[in-house]
Amino acid sequence: MRKGIWAIFVVLMVLMLIGGQATRTVYAEASNEHRPNVYDALDKLTANEVAELQASITNVSKEYNLDVAVVITDQTQGKSSRDFADDFYDNQGYGVGPDHSGLLLLINMDQREVWISTAGKAIDIFTDDRISNMVNDVTAPLSNGNFDEACKTFVDDVGSIAKMGVPAGQNRVGSETDEAVSEDQDETDTQPVAGSSYFGRMFGMMKSVWVYVIALIVALIATFLVSRSSKGKVTINNLTYEENDSFVLSDDHEEFIRESTTRTKITKESSSSTHTSSSGKTHGGGGGKF
Amino acid sequence: MDTVKAYKCPNCKAGLEFNPANQNWKCQYCFGEFSKEQLDAVLQPEEPLEQAPTELNSYRCSSCGAELIADATTSATFCLYCKNHTIIKSRFAGEFKPERLIPFKLTKEQAKELYRKWITKRLFAPDDFKQKDKLDKVTGVYAPFWLFDCKVDGMIEGEGTRVRTWSDADYKYTETKYYRVVRGGSTEYNRVPVDASIKLDDQFMHLIEPYNYGDLTEFSMEYLSGFMAEKYDVEAAAAETVMAERVSQYLEDRLTATVSGYSSFTVSNKLIQLKDTIHEYAMLPIYLLINQYQGKDHVFIVNGQTGKVVGDTPTSFAKQLLFAGAVFFGVWLVLVLGGALFA
Repeated sequence: MRKGIWAIFVVLMVLMLIGGQATRTVYAEASNEHRPNVYDALDKLTANEVAELQASITNVSKEYNLDVAVVITDQTQGKSSRDFADDFYDNQGYGVGPDHSGLLLLINMDQREVWISTAGKAIDIFTDDRISNMVNDVTAPLSNGNFDEACKTFVDDVGSIAKMGVPAGQNRVGSETDEAVSEDQDETDTQPVAGSSYFGRMFGMMKSVWVYVIALIVALIATFLVSRSSKGKVTINNLTYEENDSFVLSDDHEEFIRESTTRTKITKESSSSTHTSSSGKTHGGGGGKF
Repeated sequence: MDTVKAYKCPNCKAGLEFNPANQNWKCQYCFGEFSKEQLDAVLQPEEPLEQAPTELNSYRCSSCGAELIADATTSATFCLYCKNHTIIKSRFAGEFKPERLIPFKLTKEQAKELYRKWITKRLFAPDDFKQKDKLDKVTGVYAPFWLFDCKVDGMIEGEGTRVRTWSDADYKYTETKYYRVVRGGSTEYNRVPVDASIKLDDQFMHLIEPYNYGDLTEFSMEYLSGFMAEKYDVEAAAAETVMAERVSQYLEDRLTATVSGYSSFTVSNKLIQLKDTIHEYAMLPIYLLINQYQGKDHVFIVNGQTGKVVGDTPTSFAKQLLFAGAVFFGVWLVLVLGGALFA
């Protein structure tokens, strides 16, 4: 009995491991075909600084499967920093995996503004609160004209935040301005990570190991209980042979010994605002002046 | 003095059998029926069983004189040659004289029928076993039991907790208060049965409980006519330890049930004592059904009074796997479809 169930379990586990491995390799390959991640139109960085930055971006990118780009320009073609950053990201084809995960830091010298654009799973990891901290980290050195430090801080921040992963209670909130543009698109914007539709989430659930583990445990317990009852059930209890009214409770006391109180911090809901870029892709992010 | 006893029809001297349906004795030959009073009046008064007839190496059928095939504990049986019911008197004498008995309430046919109904409801029993018409062997047996009366006195001590939670803007607080909880009490148990035969499976004999003690009567050998019977080979002292364990657990559960108002309670200490233990030797009716499956004997027991069935049901691995698979798929489906709804 057990053997058969375990065989099924092992086969499922192996299949899931192989599946996971396969997707990982695909992602790794996708992130290899790379355009430069640092685009400095105003020569604010030295060649050495660009090379160093490129190296640390490659490391972060490999480790967390997130593309990272830094753009310094004053030519935004009349677009807002947000739109320029989103379009630059989409047009240059940045991003890892099918959802093009990654971040782009735009330093807009025309407006003296920075904008961090996120895409794919970076939207969920880099929540509004985290983005605004990152923006503060970047604008401080920029105010002093220290471009290299600003870019390095940004890449470091990406690494350390990506390591923390998606915060508990994270959810996406569609931007209001886009609601007018396209209502159903916005609908998909507000969906969480797993998928954009009910079926998408269903496939997400199918890939979850827990679904299999829970189903397996329930199946084993149910089979065990039914098997045990195949011999017959106990139909007596501790009252069957007790003389009526013979039970006397002679001692019935309790005393307080000690108490302890623990507290746990309530994790606040963190949200990632999203909007749709001109190419129809979903982006998150935020920015600030320097 | 006869060493074996056979109850014979007062009219035609053929063998008499106890008839569970009418609770009387019936002659299979002339169809005469007799109540206990009628029989007692006609039959010569029983020699007092207290003067134990000596245990012999072999016994002979009182009707045909053939040797009876019986092992050391068999107390009532059939003659293999003339099918006459015979009771080996020495095995009901002295210390082996039962004090009480519950007569059979169900006939062999009723017991078979109850078994058939029960086995069809076993989910994991193989189909060919369920559909098997013929039962290999059905025997009505008076099984030896020790019935214990006792007073139990005890106390339990344990740790109870009360948990309260609340939260403010930033934190969730959990306050746990620990209490030492003591409960003491006493109760009486009547006629807790313990299987007194080594041959019969203890687990099954426990599962066929309870018997309705309303039918418990004084032991009389006539009831055994037509059935098999076993004498005890588990001493009362050995059975008493089994009983003590059971009733100690009963009282502990009883005391634990009085602990309320706590989030959790675990017993850390207990002291339970029995006193005034008395035992009675009783014969309780069971039908022993033996049904073969793939060359192996599967034993089933039907309570000869209440009709409760228990037994060693063979299990089909294919059915278990199918069931486990169905549950697995059902749960998986609910988790995937329902989970996606709330993800």
